[in-house]
Amino acid sequence: MIPLVGLAVGVVLGLLLEPTLPTVLQPYLPIAIVAALDALFGAFRAYLEGTFTDRVFVVSFVSNVLIAALIVFVGDQIGVGSQLSTGVVVVLGIRIFTNVAAIRRILFHA
Amino acid sequence: MSSPATSGATVRTDKGGPRRVDASMDLLNQILREPVDPDYARLSRQPARPRTRAGWRLALVLVVAGALFAVAALQTNRAAPVQATERAELVERIQAAETEQDTLRAQVDDLDGQIGALRAVALGDDGSSRATEAQIDRLGPAVGQGPVTGPGVVVVVDDAPSTSSDARDQVLDLDLQVLANGLWQAGAEAVSINGHRLSGLTAIRGAGDAITVDYRSLTRPYRVEAVGDPRTLQARLADSPAGAWWNDLASNRGMTYQTSDAGRLALDSDPGITLRYARAVGR
Repeated sequence: MIPLVGLAVGVVLGLLLEPTLPTVLQPYLPIAIVAALDALFGAFRAYLEGTFTDRVFVVSFVSNVLIAALIVFVGDQIGVGSQLSTGVVVVLGIRIFTNVAAIRRILFHA
Repeated sequence: MSSPATSGATVRTDKGGPRRVDASMDLLNQILREPVDPDYARLSRQPARPRTRAGWRLALVLVVAGALFAVAALQTNRAAPVQATERAELVERIQAAETEQDTLRAQVDDLDGQIGALRAVALGDDGSSRATEAQIDRLGPAVGQGPVTGPGVVVVVDDAPSTSSDARDQVLDLDLQVLANGLWQAGAEAVSINGHRLSGLTAIRGAGDAITVDYRSLTRPYRVEAVGDPRTLQARLADSPAGAWWNDLASNRGMTYQTSDAGRLALDSDPGITLRYARAVGR
């Protein structure tokens, strides 16, 4: 229950407060979100498999987001920012798909 | 991947078993096999941990995650319409300017026609007037006041295909001036560069990175069209100093310099030529 409420509260807060992100950080938001999605789906799968631990989730979420943004930042500095973003999206996308497939198998047994 | 013990079918376990030799390198295998953080499994195997009171951390992180989604969605949706409106506005302004240009051009043509008609009326129909008319008809095209059609040559010149930004490998305003003067010298009746008709008042200048003809900037490649006697124009151009100049640029700098005959060229009049001096007949 807590997760869904937390997500909903976050969405509502974001919509209501409309915080403006500093322009420096704007390029890293999309990639951070993909990393966050990866952590969320991983956590959901672990929850369904009965191995969920909130400490691991918090650590993996924060580190995922920060590392994804950091990779893109470093890429921007050395001139391969968009390519590295693509790489991060591909890797995280594969993980998200794998996790969602596992979640589907657990939920629907299909 | 060489020995059977390290084949892809081996399922790696977290503890025990020999570590595969390529364990640190099979990125894709690892992504597919370990999509969930292995720490979930490790911590959950530890016997009967007391449930931590870290629920608030979980909630906080999820609030942050939700806020991230909302902010990103807001930003994407807010930026899109702004960009679209700006684009539409720019397109609208360009179209308005183009329409205005067309109207003005039509107006110029109309007024030119009126000037011609008024001149014919004012000159009357006697012998000297007809001589004057004939002179106007002969000189008009030569000075760029009227459009000219006829055979001629087309000269296409362009920068050397090098990637260096060496100005000596690029066509300069001086080079086009030399070429235009060479064409006049070779007997051209009318010359235009990229569709801009040259007259005695035309300025060919460099402005920043671009060459301008009458303050309208040109884009590469430069296509110089000249109406004249097709039998002699090209040969006389080659013999002129301009031909030598451009042969030198083409052979030593690698610039493009191609001349070809054209059966029929149509050059517009120079819009810069206007009626500057007039006087009423008989005064």
